[in-house]
Amino acid sequence: MPGGDSGVDVEEYDDVWVFVEQHDGEVAGVAWELLSKGRDLADEREENLVALVMGENLDETGIPEACLARGADRVLVADDPVFEPYRSDPYGEQFRYLVEERKPAIALIGGTHTGRDFAGRVAVPNHAGLTADCTELEMANDRYEMRRPAFGGDALATIICPDHRPQMSTVRPGVFPTAEPDDDREGEVVDVAVVVEEDETMTEVLEREVGDVADITDAEIVVAGGMGVEGDFEPLWELADVLGGTVAGSRDAVEEGWIEPARQVGQTGKTVRPDLYIAAGISGAIQHLEGMDDSETVIAINTDPNAPIFDNADYGIVGDLHEVIPELIAYFSEDRQEVPA
Amino acid sequence: MSDEWNIVVCVKQVPDADDVSIDPETGRLNRSDAAAVLNAPDYNAVEAALELREAVDGTVTALSMGPPTAEAVLRVAVGMGADDGVLLSDPAFGGSDTWPTSLALARAADELDADVVIAGEESTDSSTGQVPPGIAAHNGWAQLTYVEGLEPAPGEDRLVAKRDVEGGYERVAADLPVVVAMGFGENEPRPAGLHRKIYAESDFEPETWTAEDLDVEDEVGLSVSPTQVGGMDTADPVPREQEVVEETDELAEQIAEVL
Repeated sequence: MPGGDSGVDVEEYDDVWVFVEQHDGEVAGVAWELLSKGRDLADEREENLVALVMGENLDETGIPEACLARGADRVLVADDPVFEPYRSDPYGEQFRYLVEERKPAIALIGGTHTGRDFAGRVAVPNHAGLTADCTELEMANDRYEMRRPAFGGDALATIICPDHRPQMSTVRPGVFPTAEPDDDREGEVVDVAVVVEEDETMTEVLEREVGDVADITDAEIVVAGGMGVEGDFEPLWELADVLGGTVAGSRDAVEEGWIEPARQVGQTGKTVRPDLYIAAGISGAIQHLEGMDDSETVIAINTDPNAPIFDNADYGIVGDLHEVIPELIAYFSEDRQEVPA
Repeated sequence: MSDEWNIVVCVKQVPDADDVSIDPETGRLNRSDAAAVLNAPDYNAVEAALELREAVDGTVTALSMGPPTAEAVLRVAVGMGADDGVLLSDPAFGGSDTWPTSLALARAADELDADVVIAGEESTDSSTGQVPPGIAAHNGWAQLTYVEGLEPAPGEDRLVAKRDVEGGYERVAADLPVVVAMGFGENEPRPAGLHRKIYAESDFEPETWTAEDLDVEDEVGLSVSPTQVGGMDTADPVPREQEVVEETDELAEQIAEVL
Protein backbone atom coordinates (compact mmCIF):
# COMPACT_ATOMS: atom_id res chain seq x y z
CA MET A 1 0.00 0.00 0.00
CA PRO A 2 1.66 3.26 -1.03
CA GLY A 3 2.33 5.52 1.88
CA GLY A 4 0.81 3.31 4.58
CA ASP A 5 -0.62 5.55 7.28
CA SER A 6 2.30 8.00 7.20
CA GLY A 7 0.50 10.43 4.92
CA VAL A 8 3.39 10.21 2.46
CA ASP A 9 2.66 9.14 -1.10
CA VAL A 10 5.81 7.17 -1.75
CA GLU A 11 4.93 6.83 -5.45
CA GLU A 12 5.66 10.54 -5.89
CA TYR A 13 9.29 10.04 -4.99
CA ASP A 14 11.92 8.85 -7.41
CA ASP A 15 15.62 9.12 -8.27
CA VAL A 16 18.69 8.25 -6.29
CA TRP A 17 20.61 11.15 -4.78
CA VAL A 18 24.19 11.23 -3.61
CA PHE A 19 25.44 13.99 -1.32
CA VAL A 20 28.84 14.95 -2.71
CA GLU A 21 30.79 16.16 0.30
CA GLN A 22 33.48 18.68 -0.58
CA HIS A 23 35.68 21.03 1.39
CA ASP A 24 37.53 23.84 -0.39
CA GLY A 25 37.05 22.08 -3.71
CA GLU A 26 38.35 18.72 -2.46
CA VAL A 27 35.78 15.95 -2.75
CA ALA A 28 35.65 13.30 -0.01
CA GLY A 29 36.51 10.00 -1.74
CA VAL A 30 33.46 8.28 -0.31
CA ALA A 31 31.28 10.46 -2.56
CA TRP A 32 32.76 8.78 -5.65
CA GLU A 33 32.15 5.38 -4.07
CA LEU A 34 28.52 6.32 -3.46
CA LEU A 35 28.06 7.58 -7.03
CA SER A 36 29.30 4.18 -8.26
CA LYS A 37 26.87 2.34 -5.96
CA GLY A 38 24.10 4.84 -6.69
CA ARG A 39 24.54 4.26 -10.43
CA ASP A 40 23.76 0.56 -9.95
CA LEU A 41 20.72 1.32 -7.80
CA ALA A 42 19.41 3.93 -10.24
CA ASP A 43 19.83 1.55 -13.19
CA GLU A 44 17.95 -1.16 -11.38
CA ARG A 45 15.17 1.25 -10.47
CA GLU A 46 15.21 2.78 -13.98
CA GLU A 47 15.64 6.19 -12.42
CA ASN A 48 18.14 9.03 -12.58
CA LEU A 49 21.23 9.33 -10.44
CA VAL A 50 21.46 12.84 -9.04
CA ALA A 51 24.55 14.34 -7.40
CA LEU A 52 24.08 17.19 -4.94
CA VAL A 53 27.00 19.55 -4.50
CA MET A 54 27.02 22.52 -2.16
CA GLY A 55 29.78 25.10 -1.74
CA GLU A 56 31.19 28.31 -3.13
CA ASN A 57 32.55 28.96 -6.64
CA LEU A 58 32.00 25.35 -7.56
CA ASP A 59 32.26 26.08 -11.29
CA GLU A 60 35.98 26.70 -10.72
CA THR A 61 36.47 23.30 -9.09
CA GLY A 62 35.37 21.01 -11.91
CA ILE A 63 33.36 19.02 -9.37
CA PRO A 64 30.00 19.13 -11.22
CA GLU A 65 31.61 17.74 -14.41
CA ALA A 66 33.46 15.11 -12.36
CA CYS A 67 30.10 14.00 -10.91
CA LEU A 68 28.78 13.42 -14.44
CA ALA A 69 31.91 11.44 -15.38
CA ARG A 70 31.38 9.34 -12.26
CA GLY A 71 27.85 8.34 -13.13
CA ALA A 72 25.44 11.16 -12.32
CA ASP A 73 22.69 11.98 -14.82
CA ARG A 74 22.05 15.32 -13.18
CA VAL A 75 24.10 17.47 -10.83
CA LEU A 76 22.32 19.89 -8.54
CA VAL A 77 24.65 22.75 -7.62
CA ALA A 78 23.88 25.03 -4.69
CA ASP A 79 26.54 27.70 -4.97
CA ASP A 80 26.80 30.42 -2.35
CA PRO A 81 29.33 31.70 0.21
CA VAL A 82 26.92 30.50 2.92
CA PHE A 83 27.85 26.90 2.00
CA GLU A 84 31.63 27.22 2.49
CA PRO A 85 32.86 25.86 4.83
CA TYR A 86 30.26 23.23 5.73
CA ARG A 87 27.79 24.04 8.51
CA SER A 88 24.87 21.82 9.45
CA ASP A 89 22.21 24.52 9.64
CA PRO A 90 22.51 26.13 6.17
CA TYR A 91 23.21 22.76 4.53
CA GLY A 92 20.24 21.23 6.35
CA GLU A 93 17.84 23.98 5.38
CA GLN A 94 18.92 23.88 1.71
CA PHE A 95 18.58 20.10 1.60
CA ARG A 96 15.11 20.26 3.17
CA TYR A 97 14.03 22.64 0.43
CA LEU A 98 15.48 20.53 -2.38
CA VAL A 99 13.86 17.34 -1.08
CA GLU A 100 10.51 19.08 -0.81
CA GLU A 101 10.86 20.44 -4.35
CA ARG A 102 12.24 17.36 -6.07
CA LYS A 103 11.20 14.37 -3.96
CA PRO A 104 14.08 11.88 -4.18
CA ALA A 105 13.38 8.24 -3.29
CA ILE A 106 16.84 7.45 -1.94
CA ALA A 107 19.68 9.59 -0.60
CA LEU A 108 23.19 8.26 0.03
CA ILE A 109 25.56 10.14 2.33
CA GLY A 110 29.16 9.34 3.27
CA GLY A 111 29.69 8.25 6.86
CA THR A 112 32.33 10.89 7.59
CA HIS A 113 31.99 13.30 10.51
CA THR A 114 30.53 15.86 8.13
CA GLY A 115 28.23 13.34 6.47
CA ARG A 116 26.90 11.99 9.74
CA ASP A 117 26.46 15.52 11.13
CA PHE A 118 24.50 16.41 7.96
CA ALA A 119 22.44 13.22 7.67
CA GLY A 120 21.20 13.33 11.25
CA ARG A 121 20.07 16.89 10.77
CA VAL A 122 18.34 16.60 7.40
CA ALA A 123 16.46 13.37 8.09
CA VAL A 124 14.25 15.11 10.66
CA PRO A 125 12.50 17.93 8.77
CA ASN A 126 11.77 15.63 5.82
CA HIS A 127 10.59 12.86 8.16
CA ALA A 128 12.97 10.58 6.30
CA GLY A 129 14.12 7.15 7.34
CA LEU A 130 17.84 7.18 8.08
CA THR A 131 20.07 4.15 8.57
CA ALA A 132 23.66 4.58 9.72
CA ASP A 133 26.75 2.71 8.58
CA CYS A 134 25.15 0.48 5.98
CA THR A 135 27.43 -2.21 4.57
CA GLU A 136 25.05 -3.49 1.86
CA LEU A 137 22.46 -1.60 -0.18
CA GLU A 138 20.30 -3.30 -2.74
CA MET A 139 16.96 -3.51 -4.47
CA ALA A 140 15.38 -6.77 -3.34
CA ASN A 141 11.84 -7.97 -2.72
CA ASP A 142 10.61 -4.91 -4.64
CA ARG A 143 12.05 -2.56 -2.09
CA TYR A 144 15.22 -0.77 -1.07
CA GLU A 145 17.03 -2.84 1.53
CA MET A 146 19.76 -1.44 3.74
CA ARG A 147 21.88 -3.86 5.71
CA ARG A 148 24.08 -3.19 8.70
CA PRO A 149 25.64 -5.45 11.30
CA ALA A 150 23.53 -5.79 14.42
CA PHE A 151 25.08 -5.34 17.80
CA GLY A 152 26.94 -8.18 19.36
CA GLY A 153 26.38 -11.09 17.03
CA ASP A 154 26.99 -12.65 13.68
CA ALA A 155 23.87 -11.00 12.39
CA LEU A 156 23.08 -8.51 9.69
CA ALA A 157 19.93 -6.46 10.16
CA THR A 158 17.96 -5.54 7.07
CA ILE A 159 16.46 -2.09 7.52
CA ILE A 160 13.59 -0.95 5.34
CA CYS A 161 11.73 2.30 5.08
CA PRO A 162 8.29 1.41 3.72
CA ASP A 163 6.23 4.54 4.26
CA HIS A 164 8.63 7.48 4.37
CA ARG A 165 10.83 9.25 1.83
CA PRO A 166 13.59 9.77 1.14
CA GLN A 167 15.17 6.54 2.28
CA MET A 168 18.51 7.74 3.57
CA SER A 169 21.66 5.72 4.22
CA THR A 170 25.07 6.67 5.50
CA VAL A 171 27.98 4.53 4.36
CA ARG A 172 31.50 4.56 5.73
CA PRO A 173 34.42 5.15 3.36
CA GLY A 174 35.72 2.10 1.48
CA VAL A 175 32.58 -0.04 1.74
CA PHE A 176 31.85 0.24 -1.98
CA PRO A 177 34.46 0.32 -4.75
CA THR A 178 34.85 3.34 -7.02
CA ALA A 179 34.14 2.86 -10.72
CA GLU A 180 36.48 4.44 -13.28
CA PRO A 181 35.26 7.88 -14.40
CA ASP A 182 34.05 8.19 -17.98
CA ASP A 183 34.65 11.70 -19.31
CA ASP A 184 32.34 11.06 -22.27
CA ARG A 185 29.28 10.55 -20.09
CA GLU A 186 26.69 13.25 -20.57
CA GLY A 187 24.24 14.80 -18.21
CA GLU A 188 22.94 18.12 -16.99
CA VAL A 189 24.24 20.53 -14.41
CA VAL A 190 21.47 22.49 -12.71
CA ASP A 191 22.05 25.57 -10.58
CA VAL A 192 19.39 25.45 -7.90
CA ALA A 193 17.89 28.35 -5.99
CA VAL A 194 19.66 29.07 -2.71
CA VAL A 195 17.13 29.43 0.10
CA VAL A 196 19.49 30.23 2.98
CA GLU A 197 20.67 33.69 4.01
CA GLU A 198 23.83 34.20 6.03
CA ASP A 199 22.04 36.27 8.66
CA GLU A 200 19.65 33.39 9.33
CA THR A 201 22.46 31.00 10.26
CA MET A 202 23.05 29.93 13.84
CA THR A 203 26.72 29.04 13.59
CA GLU A 204 30.01 30.61 12.57
CA VAL A 205 33.20 28.74 11.73
CA LEU A 206 35.95 30.72 13.47
CA GLU A 207 38.88 28.58 12.41
CA ARG A 208 39.50 25.49 10.34
CA GLU A 209 42.77 23.54 10.26
CA VAL A 210 42.90 20.45 8.12
CA GLY A 211 45.99 18.58 7.06
CA ASP A 212 46.41 15.42 5.06
CA VAL A 213 44.17 12.58 6.11
CA ALA A 214 45.64 9.10 6.05
CA ASP A 215 43.84 7.00 3.46
CA ILE A 216 44.14 3.28 4.15
CA THR A 217 41.32 2.20 1.83
CA ASP A 218 43.56 1.69 -1.21
CA ALA A 219 46.44 -0.07 0.59
CA GLU A 220 47.53 -3.45 -0.79
CA ILE A 221 49.12 -4.57 2.46
CA VAL A 222 47.65 -3.67 5.85
CA VAL A 223 49.17 -4.47 9.25
CA ALA A 224 46.42 -3.94 11.81
CA GLY A 225 46.60 -3.96 15.59
CA GLY A 226 44.05 -4.29 18.37
CA MET A 227 44.00 -4.48 22.16
CA GLY A 228 46.81 -7.04 22.09
CA VAL A 229 49.20 -4.31 20.93
CA GLU A 230 49.04 -2.87 24.46
CA GLY A 231 49.85 0.65 23.44
CA ASP A 232 52.95 0.47 21.23
CA PHE A 233 52.26 0.36 17.51
CA GLU A 234 55.94 0.84 16.58
CA PRO A 235 56.57 -2.85 15.73
CA LEU A 236 53.53 -2.78 13.43
CA TRP A 237 54.86 0.30 11.66
CA GLU A 238 58.20 -1.44 11.20
CA LEU A 239 56.58 -4.56 9.80
CA ALA A 240 54.41 -2.48 7.46
CA ASP A 241 57.55 -0.68 6.38
CA VAL A 242 59.49 -3.83 5.45
CA LEU A 243 56.44 -5.28 3.70
CA GLY A 244 55.64 -2.05 1.88
CA GLY A 245 52.24 -1.64 3.50
CA THR A 246 50.41 0.63 5.88
CA VAL A 247 49.12 0.39 9.46
CA ALA A 248 45.56 0.24 10.72
CA GLY A 249 43.82 -0.41 14.02
CA SER A 250 40.69 -1.84 15.54
CA ARG A 251 38.11 0.41 17.17
CA ASP A 252 39.51 -0.46 20.59
CA ALA A 253 43.01 0.61 19.55
CA VAL A 254 41.67 3.89 18.22
CA GLU A 255 39.67 4.55 21.35
CA GLU A 256 42.76 3.87 23.45
CA GLY A 257 44.45 6.62 21.45
CA TRP A 258 47.17 4.29 20.14
CA ILE A 259 46.44 5.09 16.50
CA GLU A 260 44.62 7.86 14.64
CA PRO A 261 40.88 7.49 13.90
CA ALA A 262 41.46 7.75 10.13
CA ARG A 263 43.18 4.35 10.35
CA GLN A 264 40.30 2.54 12.04
CA VAL A 265 39.09 -0.58 10.24
CA GLY A 266 35.59 -1.87 10.84
CA GLN A 267 31.92 -1.06 10.61
CA THR A 268 32.39 2.32 12.23
CA GLY A 269 35.72 2.96 10.51
CA LYS A 270 37.11 2.22 7.08
CA THR A 271 36.65 -0.80 4.89
CA VAL A 272 39.84 -2.14 3.33
CA ARG A 273 40.32 -4.86 0.72
CA PRO A 274 44.08 -5.43 0.52
CA ASP A 275 45.94 -8.42 -0.89
CA LEU A 276 47.32 -9.07 2.59
CA TYR A 277 45.74 -8.21 5.94
CA ILE A 278 47.69 -9.01 9.08
CA ALA A 279 45.52 -8.85 12.21
CA ALA A 280 47.74 -8.62 15.27
CA GLY A 281 46.15 -8.76 18.69
CA ILE A 282 42.68 -8.34 17.19
CA SER A 283 40.01 -10.70 18.50
CA GLY A 284 37.86 -10.48 15.36
CA ALA A 285 34.48 -9.10 16.42
CA ILE A 286 31.90 -8.96 13.62
CA GLN A 287 32.15 -5.16 13.54
CA HIS A 288 35.85 -5.48 12.73
CA LEU A 289 35.39 -8.29 10.20
CA GLU A 290 32.94 -6.10 8.28
CA GLY A 291 35.81 -3.77 7.52
CA MET A 292 38.34 -6.34 6.29
CA ASP A 293 36.66 -9.54 5.14
CA ASP A 294 37.11 -8.65 1.48
CA SER A 295 40.87 -8.96 2.00
CA GLU A 296 42.55 -11.52 -0.26
CA THR A 297 44.66 -13.23 2.39
CA VAL A 298 44.20 -12.76 6.14
CA ILE A 299 46.92 -13.55 8.68
CA ALA A 300 46.09 -13.70 12.40
CA ILE A 301 48.41 -13.33 15.36
CA ASN A 302 46.74 -13.74 18.72
CA THR A 303 47.51 -15.17 22.15
CA ASP A 304 43.98 -16.54 22.49
CA PRO A 305 43.54 -19.74 20.46
CA ASN A 306 39.76 -19.31 20.69
CA ALA A 307 39.72 -15.78 19.26
CA PRO A 308 37.20 -15.62 16.40
CA ILE A 309 39.85 -14.05 14.16
CA PHE A 310 41.36 -17.52 13.60
CA ASP A 311 38.11 -18.70 11.96
CA ASN A 312 38.30 -15.69 9.69
CA ALA A 313 41.98 -15.96 8.78
CA ASP A 314 43.80 -18.02 6.20
CA TYR A 315 46.90 -18.51 8.31
CA GLY A 316 47.31 -17.88 11.98
CA ILE A 317 49.69 -18.33 14.83
CA VAL A 318 48.85 -18.57 18.50
CA GLY A 319 51.43 -16.34 20.06
CA ASP A 320 52.36 -12.96 21.44
CA LEU A 321 52.60 -10.36 18.70
CA HIS A 322 55.46 -8.74 20.61
CA GLU A 323 57.51 -11.85 19.81
CA VAL A 324 56.03 -12.82 16.45
CA ILE A 325 56.19 -9.41 14.78
CA PRO A 326 59.91 -8.80 15.48
CA GLU A 327 60.58 -12.28 14.06
CA LEU A 328 58.60 -11.40 10.95
CA ILE A 329 60.47 -8.11 10.63
CA ALA A 330 63.78 -9.98 10.88
CA TYR A 331 62.63 -12.58 8.34
CA PHE A 332 61.59 -10.04 5.74
CA SER A 333 64.56 -7.74 6.36
CA GLU A 334 66.91 -10.67 5.60
CA ASP A 335 64.71 -11.77 2.74
CA ARG A 336 65.08 -8.37 1.16
CA GLN A 337 68.85 -8.44 1.34
CA GLU A 338 69.00 -11.91 -0.22
CA VAL A 339 66.55 -11.28 -3.00
CA PRO A 340 66.93 -7.84 -4.55
CA ALA A 341 63.62 -6.48 -5.72
CA MET B 1 18.09 33.21 28.00
CA SER B 2 18.53 33.66 31.69
CA ASP B 3 21.86 34.52 33.35
CA GLU B 4 22.22 30.97 34.52
CA TRP B 5 22.50 28.28 31.89
CA ASN B 6 20.14 25.35 31.86
CA ILE B 7 22.32 22.47 30.81
CA VAL B 8 20.63 19.21 29.88
CA VAL B 9 22.76 16.10 29.52
CA CYS B 10 21.31 13.14 27.62
CA VAL B 11 22.21 9.71 28.95
CA LYS B 12 21.24 6.27 27.71
CA GLN B 13 21.08 2.90 29.34
CA VAL B 14 22.65 0.23 27.15
CA PRO B 15 23.39 -3.48 27.46
CA ASP B 16 26.77 -4.07 29.01
CA ALA B 17 28.41 -7.04 27.44
CA ASP B 18 28.71 -8.17 23.85
CA ASP B 19 26.36 -11.07 24.53
CA VAL B 20 23.15 -9.33 23.58
CA SER B 21 20.77 -11.64 21.78
CA ILE B 22 18.41 -10.83 18.97
CA ASP B 23 14.76 -11.70 19.35
CA PRO B 24 14.15 -14.19 16.53
CA GLU B 25 10.46 -13.23 16.37
CA THR B 26 10.82 -9.48 15.98
CA GLY B 27 14.41 -9.13 14.82
CA ARG B 28 14.94 -6.47 17.45
CA LEU B 29 17.61 -6.43 20.10
CA ASN B 30 16.70 -8.35 23.18
CA ARG B 31 17.95 -6.01 25.84
CA SER B 32 16.43 -7.88 28.77
CA ASP B 33 19.12 -10.48 29.29
CA ALA B 34 22.24 -8.34 29.50
CA ALA B 35 23.42 -6.18 32.38
CA ALA B 36 22.43 -2.56 31.78
CA VAL B 37 24.89 0.27 32.20
CA LEU B 38 25.39 3.90 31.25
CA ASN B 39 26.49 4.19 27.62
CA ALA B 40 30.27 4.71 27.83
CA PRO B 41 30.44 7.84 25.60
CA ASP B 42 27.81 9.48 27.84
CA TYR B 43 30.35 9.74 30.67
CA ASN B 44 32.15 12.29 28.49
CA ALA B 45 28.86 14.14 28.02
CA VAL B 46 28.20 14.29 31.77
CA GLU B 47 31.76 15.47 32.43
CA ALA B 48 31.44 18.19 29.78
CA ALA B 49 28.12 19.31 31.27
CA LEU B 50 29.60 19.56 34.77
CA GLU B 51 32.64 21.48 33.50
CA LEU B 52 30.34 23.83 31.61
CA ARG B 53 28.28 24.43 34.75
CA GLU B 54 31.45 25.29 36.66
CA ALA B 55 32.42 27.80 33.97
CA VAL B 56 29.12 29.59 33.41
CA ASP B 57 26.92 28.95 36.46
CA GLY B 58 23.74 27.05 35.96
CA THR B 59 22.18 23.69 36.53
CA VAL B 60 22.72 20.29 34.98
CA THR B 61 19.67 18.08 34.42
CA ALA B 62 20.21 14.53 33.24
CA LEU B 63 17.65 13.33 30.70
CA SER B 64 17.04 9.78 29.61
CA MET B 65 14.45 7.81 27.71
CA GLY B 66 13.81 4.16 28.37
CA PRO B 67 12.01 1.67 30.57
CA PRO B 68 11.55 2.48 34.30
CA THR B 69 14.83 0.68 35.07
CA ALA B 70 16.68 3.29 33.01
CA GLU B 71 16.46 5.61 36.00
CA ALA B 72 19.67 3.86 37.07
CA VAL B 73 21.66 5.90 34.53
CA LEU B 74 20.14 9.11 35.88
CA ARG B 75 21.47 8.07 39.28
CA VAL B 76 24.93 7.63 37.76
CA ALA B 77 24.77 11.16 36.34
CA VAL B 78 23.48 12.61 39.62
CA GLY B 79 26.19 10.73 41.48
CA MET B 80 28.79 12.42 39.27
CA GLY B 81 27.24 15.79 40.07
CA ALA B 82 24.15 16.45 37.98
CA ASP B 83 21.57 18.47 39.90
CA ASP B 84 18.47 16.63 38.77
CA GLY B 85 17.17 13.96 36.43
CA VAL B 86 14.16 13.34 34.21
CA LEU B 87 13.18 10.00 32.72
CA LEU B 88 10.99 9.78 29.64
CA SER B 89 9.27 6.47 30.10
CA ASP B 90 6.10 5.18 28.51
CA PRO B 91 5.25 1.96 26.68
CA ALA B 92 4.22 4.25 23.82
CA PHE B 93 7.93 4.99 23.19
CA GLY B 94 8.71 1.32 22.57
CA GLY B 95 10.30 0.51 19.23
CA SER B 96 11.02 4.14 18.37
CA ASP B 97 13.82 4.65 15.87
CA THR B 98 16.00 7.75 15.97
CA TRP B 99 13.33 10.08 14.53
CA PRO B 100 10.75 9.78 17.33
CA THR B 101 13.45 9.27 19.96
CA SER B 102 15.03 12.59 19.10
CA LEU B 103 11.57 14.19 18.97
CA ALA B 104 10.74 13.14 22.53
CA LEU B 105 14.14 14.27 23.81
CA ALA B 106 13.80 17.56 21.90
CA ARG B 107 10.40 18.26 23.47
CA ALA B 108 11.77 17.46 26.91
CA ALA B 109 14.81 19.70 26.37
CA ASP B 110 12.47 22.50 25.34
CA GLU B 111 10.29 21.84 28.39
CA LEU B 112 13.42 22.10 30.55
CA ASP B 113 14.18 25.45 28.89
CA ALA B 114 17.59 24.17 27.87
CA ASP B 115 20.33 26.53 26.75
CA VAL B 116 22.72 23.69 26.03
CA VAL B 117 21.96 20.00 25.49
CA ILE B 118 24.98 17.71 25.71
CA ALA B 119 24.98 14.10 24.53
CA GLY B 120 27.60 11.43 23.93
CA GLU B 121 28.95 10.82 20.44
CA GLU B 122 26.79 7.74 19.87
CA SER B 123 25.40 4.78 21.76
CA THR B 124 27.33 1.55 21.93
CA ASP B 125 24.24 -0.56 21.17
CA SER B 126 22.96 1.24 18.06
CA SER B 127 26.00 3.31 17.00
CA THR B 128 24.08 5.73 14.80
CA GLY B 129 25.04 9.12 16.29
CA GLN B 130 21.78 10.38 14.80
CA VAL B 131 19.99 11.44 17.96
CA PRO B 132 21.95 14.61 18.86
CA PRO B 133 21.52 16.19 15.38
CA GLY B 134 17.93 14.95 15.48
CA ILE B 135 17.23 16.81 18.73
CA ALA B 136 18.73 19.98 17.25
CA ALA B 137 16.74 19.62 14.03
CA HIS B 138 13.42 19.00 15.79
CA ASN B 139 13.85 22.20 17.80
CA GLY B 140 15.50 24.24 15.04
CA TRP B 141 18.56 24.69 17.25
CA ALA B 142 22.23 24.77 16.34
CA GLN B 143 24.29 21.59 16.64
CA LEU B 144 27.94 20.83 17.32
CA THR B 145 28.98 17.19 16.86
CA TYR B 146 32.31 15.37 17.35
CA VAL B 147 33.28 17.99 19.91
CA GLU B 148 36.78 17.81 21.38
CA GLY B 149 36.26 20.62 23.87
CA LEU B 150 33.96 23.49 24.78
CA GLU B 151 35.14 27.06 25.22
CA PRO B 152 32.40 28.63 27.34
CA ALA B 153 32.22 32.40 27.49
CA PRO B 154 29.96 33.36 30.43
CA GLY B 155 27.52 36.09 29.57
CA GLU B 156 27.66 35.42 25.84
CA ASP B 157 24.65 33.99 24.11
CA ARG B 158 26.75 31.56 22.17
CA LEU B 159 29.02 28.61 22.77
CA VAL B 160 32.31 27.93 21.00
CA ALA B 161 33.45 24.36 20.44
CA LYS B 162 36.47 22.70 18.93
CA ARG B 163 35.23 19.95 16.60
CA ASP B 164 37.12 17.00 15.23
CA VAL B 165 36.96 16.97 11.45
CA GLU B 166 38.82 14.31 9.50
CA GLY B 167 42.44 15.31 9.32
CA GLY B 168 42.14 18.31 11.61
CA TYR B 169 39.77 20.42 13.62
CA GLU B 170 37.56 23.44 13.41
CA ARG B 171 36.36 25.94 15.98
CA VAL B 172 32.70 26.80 15.61
CA ALA B 173 30.58 29.32 17.49
CA ALA B 174 26.92 28.39 17.84
CA ASP B 175 24.01 30.50 19.03
CA LEU B 176 22.11 29.20 22.04
CA PRO B 177 20.25 26.97 22.42
CA VAL B 178 22.67 24.42 21.02
CA VAL B 179 22.97 20.63 21.01
CA VAL B 180 26.48 19.30 21.61
CA ALA B 181 27.64 15.75 20.90
CA MET B 182 30.92 15.19 22.76
CA GLY B 183 33.53 13.06 21.05
CA PHE B 184 34.10 9.76 22.83
CA GLY B 185 37.10 9.90 25.16
CA GLU B 186 37.69 13.64 24.75
CA ASN B 187 37.71 14.37 28.50
CA GLU B 188 38.37 12.57 31.78
CA PRO B 189 35.04 11.78 33.44
CA ARG B 190 35.19 12.39 37.18
CA PRO B 191 34.35 9.62 39.64
CA ALA B 192 31.19 10.01 41.69
CA GLY B 193 31.76 11.71 45.05
CA LEU B 194 30.90 9.47 48.00
CA HIS B 195 28.19 11.67 49.54
CA ARG B 196 26.74 12.53 46.16
CA LYS B 197 26.64 8.85 45.28
CA ILE B 198 24.79 7.96 48.46
CA TYR B 199 22.28 10.73 47.71
CA ALA B 200 21.89 9.58 44.11
CA GLU B 201 21.24 6.00 45.11
CA SER B 202 18.94 6.65 48.07
CA ASP B 203 17.16 10.01 48.36
CA PHE B 204 17.19 11.16 44.75
CA GLU B 205 13.95 10.50 42.90
CA PRO B 206 13.89 11.31 39.19
CA GLU B 207 10.79 12.77 37.62
CA THR B 208 9.10 10.61 35.01
CA TRP B 209 7.39 12.10 31.97
CA THR B 210 5.13 10.20 29.60
CA ALA B 211 4.51 10.67 25.90
CA GLU B 212 1.31 12.47 26.78
CA ASP B 213 3.16 14.85 29.10
CA LEU B 214 5.24 15.84 26.07
CA ASP B 215 2.26 15.84 23.72
CA VAL B 216 3.97 13.38 21.38
CA GLU B 217 1.85 10.26 21.93
CA ASP B 218 0.84 10.08 18.26
CA GLU B 219 4.36 10.69 16.96
CA VAL B 220 6.39 8.04 18.79
CA GLY B 221 6.74 4.29 18.85
CA LEU B 222 7.41 1.51 16.42
CA SER B 223 4.49 2.07 14.06
CA VAL B 224 5.37 5.67 13.20
CA SER B 225 9.13 5.15 13.01
CA PRO B 226 10.33 5.71 9.44
CA THR B 227 12.75 2.78 9.55
CA GLN B 228 11.71 -0.77 10.34
CA VAL B 229 13.64 -3.97 10.80
CA GLY B 230 12.89 -6.01 7.68
CA GLY B 231 14.78 -9.09 8.75
CA MET B 232 17.83 -10.59 10.37
CA ASP B 233 20.36 -12.77 8.60
CA THR B 234 23.35 -14.58 9.80
CA ALA B 235 26.41 -12.97 8.32
CA ASP B 236 27.95 -15.53 6.02
CA PRO B 237 31.57 -15.93 6.97
CA VAL B 238 34.05 -15.55 4.14
CA PRO B 239 35.64 -18.94 3.47
CA ARG B 240 39.20 -18.99 4.81
CA GLU B 241 41.97 -21.57 5.03
CA GLN B 242 41.88 -21.41 8.85
CA GLU B 243 45.31 -22.99 9.10
CA VAL B 244 47.15 -22.43 12.35
CA VAL B 245 50.92 -22.78 12.13
CA GLU B 246 53.37 -23.45 14.95
CA GLU B 247 56.39 -21.38 13.94
CA THR B 248 56.77 -17.78 12.84
CA ASP B 249 58.84 -18.91 9.86
CA GLU B 250 55.90 -20.90 8.51
CA LEU B 251 53.73 -17.81 8.85
CA ALA B 252 56.39 -15.74 7.10
CA GLU B 253 56.46 -18.22 4.22
CA GLN B 254 52.72 -17.84 3.76
CA ILE B 255 53.07 -14.06 3.79
CA ALA B 256 55.89 -14.32 1.25
CA GLU B 257 53.53 -16.26 -1.04
CA VAL B 258 51.29 -13.21 -1.23
CA LEU B 259 54.03 -10.64 -1.75
